[in-house]
Amino acid sequence: MFTQVAAPEAAVGEPRKAHRRPPLAPYLYLLPAVALIGLWIYRPMVEGFGLSFYDWNLLPTSPKEWVGLENYADVVTNPEMIAAMRNTLVYIAAGFVAAVILPTIAVLLSRKVGTRSKSVYQGLIFVSFLIPPIAAGAVWRWMFAEDSGLLWTAANNAGLDLGNIFRDPSTAIWAIIAIMVWQMLGFGVLVVAAGVAGINPDYADAAATDGAGSWRTTMRITVPLLSPTLLFLGLMAILLSAQWSFPLIDLLTQGGPINSTTNIYYLLYQLGFQSFDAGLAAAAGVVFFLLFGLVAVGFVLLSEKLNFHDN
Amino acid sequence: MTFAFADPGVETPRLPSKPAFGLLDTPASSSPVVTPEPDPTDQHERASARPKRRFSPGKLAGHVILLALAVFSILPVYWMFAAALRAPGDVLDQSIIPWPISFETFADAWTRIGLGEMLLNTILLSAGIAAGQMLVALLAGYGFAMWRFPGRNVILMLFIGSWLIPFQVTMIPNYVLISDLGLLGTLWGVILPNLGAAFAVLLMRQHMESFPREIIDAAKVDGRSSWNTLWTVVVPNVTPAIAATTIMLFISAWNEYLWPALVLRTGAPVLQVGIRQFLSSEGNDWGALMAASAIAALPILLLYLFLQRYIVDAFVRSGLK
Repeated sequence: MFTQVAAPEAAVGEPRKAHRRPPLAPYLYLLPAVALIGLWIYRPMVEGFGLSFYDWNLLPTSPKEWVGLENYADVVTNPEMIAAMRNTLVYIAAGFVAAVILPTIAVLLSRKVGTRSKSVYQGLIFVSFLIPPIAAGAVWRWMFAEDSGLLWTAANNAGLDLGNIFRDPSTAIWAIIAIMVWQMLGFGVLVVAAGVAGINPDYADAAATDGAGSWRTTMRITVPLLSPTLLFLGLMAILLSAQWSFPLIDLLTQGGPINSTTNIYYLLYQLGFQSFDAGLAAAAGVVFFLLFGLVAVGFVLLSEKLNFHDN
Repeated sequence: MTFAFADPGVETPRLPSKPAFGLLDTPASSSPVVTPEPDPTDQHERASARPKRRFSPGKLAGHVILLALAVFSILPVYWMFAAALRAPGDVLDQSIIPWPISFETFADAWTRIGLGEMLLNTILLSAGIAAGQMLVALLAGYGFAMWRFPGRNVILMLFIGSWLIPFQVTMIPNYVLISDLGLLGTLWGVILPNLGAAFAVLLMRQHMESFPREIIDAAKVDGRSSWNTLWTVVVPNVTPAIAATTIMLFISAWNEYLWPALVLRTGAPVLQVGIRQFLSSEGNDWGALMAASAIAALPILLLYLFLQRYIVDAFVRSGLK
């Protein structure tokens, strides 16, 4: 999957043909980093793969029991797992809207705003992205709180009773999604704005000279030239939406009510650290890793194609 | 020649506009600059600036949209600070401006939750992670950027691949190892597994590859060792990039949530964990909760206030993680 990514590597640095032996120095410089990702990322991944065939409760004193593919069978039949996967798709769709669609619309519609005021707005829009998850969870829990929450009272004054939004299985996920959108929007806006700023205005000017209207120019010139940026944000949204929603789920609903807000990562965490079912958690981890890996490969291939637009 | 397989793309010309982690990067970031660009958003806009018009419907719509988004982003943050600055009896007051301002809510939360120690530990933790990641990434980036060697592409793929492995897949074996090492409840238990940040390595590699070769070669002719060249020639010249990246790593570490919550359930108190516990035990004490949350957010917001340009640029450049 990474052959294309590695290709530009080629002729970095000076050719050192005189050397018969490969130099030792780069290996020494790389040693700490390689050892660290080996120890803390690849080792646990391999161990987790091994663990997925065992039943184990995480206690060093209790034995691991070989169960073969039983954990994997559990992953695909467990109703909690299926609810978590469904919710994960909802979170991904929401992440896509928050990080790709809304920012693109906002940036394209605000191109006429002067550079200076734009950077002031963008500076403010980015703030929500930097707020620590713990603070975001706490303040939004209050915004939505019955009787005292700012948003709750505003809705109430408008005749809308939000009730206890995090306790209602039909609304809780939407509240979490709203908060996620709040956190991601600023990031999306800045990345799309940078993408638009990176497009050479000559293209649009040429199109305008040829008589293309501004809508036409936007759809035929700007958006296609922006596609690598949008693809990058889209991949982020798919791979990371489940991560972004994790702290919010943990702080606000713990996956409930009745599994209506849980996602695959939260379920993995609960399996491992609350039900102490390390084998099942590991099996689920392997399955999700493969699924997301496939998506990533798809995006890499797609970006290969789209990059030809560029330049 | 036996190395030809291990190092496939050797003969292909380098495309400087496509860094190795091109997909994970934004198109705007590919320019080989050593210093952070001022503001990625105004590169071309100046060139396309048309004669100024005082008013147009499109411009007004743009202002309305951006203003609405800015308010949406800022309002909860403002509300958090406003509540924290109200007198304890006024916390639920919904007047826009907190008046009279009082620091009593802060003081109360500070002593009751023990925020002082948490704040100190969180600063140590984040600074330790950021500095460690940067040191490791600096060495690795230098190794990648300055030499071609067998296995280079394989190692590079190891780094890119590690970026795609979700944290939740590795957390159980890592938790077991930290526990075996006796590091549960210590800051080291959080710092150690975080030190090898593939993303920082790839970023530093990209910065160093755009460093002019002639200067390195001149240093070599002078008889400087590669170690000496790194610290006396390369590092002083990529300081802005190092600073911007370190700030971003610090913010990411500060906003880290799950791993500190697992490792520090007991032991050294940090903000993420302490406020989470307070939230579940006294979740309706909004004044104290907002004051504590405000303290958790304040250091990052202060950094942002003074270094906005660099922070935005670093995040936009590199995506998040």
